[in-house]
Amino acid sequence: MRTPSERPPEPTDEELDRYILTRYALLGIDVSVLPESDPEAPMDLVRLLENAREILRQDVVAADFEIDPQFHLPVPYPAPFTRWTEDDR
Amino acid sequence: MSAPQDVVVSRRWFLDRMASISSAAAAGALLPASASGAVRARGAGVESLPLEAYRGPVREGVQADPTEASLAETIALVRRGALHPETLVEAYVDRIERFDGALKAYADRPSRSSLLAEARRVPAEGPQAALLGACLAPKDNFYTADLLTEGGSRVFEGFQPDYDATVVATMRAAGGLMVGKAQMGNLAGGRAQVYGTTTPTTRNAWTPDDDRYSPGGSSSGTATAVAARLAVAGLGTQTGGSVIGPGNRQGLTCIKPTFGRVSLHGVIPLSYTRDHVGTMARDVLDAAILLQVIAHPDPNDPRTLGLPGAPNFVRAATPFPGPGPAVRWPTRIGLWPGYLDQEDPAANALRQALVDRLGRTGNVQIVPEIRLPDQWEELTAPPLGGSHGDPTAFFVEHLRRDVRAFGDRLPRFLNGMLQSADTYVKVQQARMLLLHRMQTQLFTQCDVVLIEGTGPFDGTGLPVLGMPIGTVMDEEAGREVPAGATVAALPFGEERLLAVAAAWQAVTDHHRVRPPDPVG
Repeated sequence: MRTPSERPPEPTDEELDRYILTRYALLGIDVSVLPESDPEAPMDLVRLLENAREILRQDVVAADFEIDPQFHLPVPYPAPFTRWTEDDR
Repeated sequence: MSAPQDVVVSRRWFLDRMASISSAAAAGALLPASASGAVRARGAGVESLPLEAYRGPVREGVQADPTEASLAETIALVRRGALHPETLVEAYVDRIERFDGALKAYADRPSRSSLLAEARRVPAEGPQAALLGACLAPKDNFYTADLLTEGGSRVFEGFQPDYDATVVATMRAAGGLMVGKAQMGNLAGGRAQVYGTTTPTTRNAWTPDDDRYSPGGSSSGTATAVAARLAVAGLGTQTGGSVIGPGNRQGLTCIKPTFGRVSLHGVIPLSYTRDHVGTMARDVLDAAILLQVIAHPDPNDPRTLGLPGAPNFVRAATPFPGPGPAVRWPTRIGLWPGYLDQEDPAANALRQALVDRLGRTGNVQIVPEIRLPDQWEELTAPPLGGSHGDPTAFFVEHLRRDVRAFGDRLPRFLNGMLQSADTYVKVQQARMLLLHRMQTQLFTQCDVVLIEGTGPFDGTGLPVLGMPIGTVMDEEAGREVPAGATVAALPFGEERLLAVAAAWQAVTDHHRVRPPDPVG
């Protein structure tokens, strides 16, 4: 069993690209209509995938951010539920 | 003197409210009847404006060119019978026809004859006369039954709604005239462009002969129209700085109110939890007047229901009477870390002058450098400070049709397909944590704060105001261009923001400086 600090090797760009394209295809979105690489075009596949890989890797940052599972925001007091129940009888 | 609303509304209640909105988004908030028009918007809550709106002095010479008049001056003149809405329409349409070819502020416009016909129907009195023929420029993501609504994008090219957005209906019901739909950045991002390209269209009114200097985005066209006197005021939308940004770049005074103050029904959505309607005007009183007209609960937008009623924004935006300039309520003004430490000495000098002047204003205490809430960087930067899933959810069918229609904005709309559920949950939790800390750690040090960017305040629904503080030389454009200051406040702190801007504009003239007309 790995300790939390021993993570598996990071996926390569190619592996992420396959995942991204598969995910879009699964949802019925065809990105193959974009030019492969054309800096003059508003968007091309190279830029799209570069951005998508960055978004996926940001998931790691979010996963690493710890929020105390016991933390809760302060709620309005007195709670409004009593009044609502009376009105809704 | 009654207390401003930011001190009488429960902060816990606002947290609870925003948490509910977040849950509502995840629970299936839908594109509000965008294609079907099944729910027809009506003007919501048109009321008479506070009398302060009509009492202001009117500058000499304004009647010679009614497009120079502010919104307050316009409605004061019309109310006194010194100016007729038809004359206003003629003056604005003349300017639009003369200069919009160069400025490209508008995407679609009604004919002169139809505007004149509308002007003849503007009533002279009563709640239906609040705006008295004011010529207004809503951004092109507000539905209009008589004009195209394309959202600055090929995605909505040719889209003709069959009803008005609630705020458009409200402004019309109050006697306002829509002189055009203002160009905007592609699906509310960046500056306006030729659809499907990255070629810019709308120019900054201050560099009318040079498109290199950005008008700001995404409410580019509204900003240019108001600054160049092609409209007296207008509406933008802000999900990430899109009202305040272009406003500051074009010398305008703009306010993005607290989330839920203004209906988003009939507005092409970007995010259910972050979209805001904001007013864009030439001075603070005008921004307040327009906000007063549109800030009402709307049965078609549950996010506006159950909130504290709108206070008297117009009074808050008028100079506080007294022996010298003063903010209406005792106010601690905080400075963002590094606020007076800009690289550009000219920009720094303008900020220093602002802080010095405010420091000499009655009822003001300057808090030299506020401390940021705990974990500020983590909570405000991507991914926790982002909103990837929000636009994706609204646009899946459009994405399936042809991704090329999204142009350079495609990643923003596809990224939600990739974000995991646990990240989405964490983003929502982090946003509530941020809002909690902003209220308990930031706004305990000050009542309003001079800030750099609006992002964290957009994501948490807090009100923000932008106002001009002078001009600086842009080396590339070779022209003086406006610099603005941005101020943020607690939930329902609009009055406080307006009062600070009113005190500043009572002793400065930056809001009265107009850009040059295009040549030729």
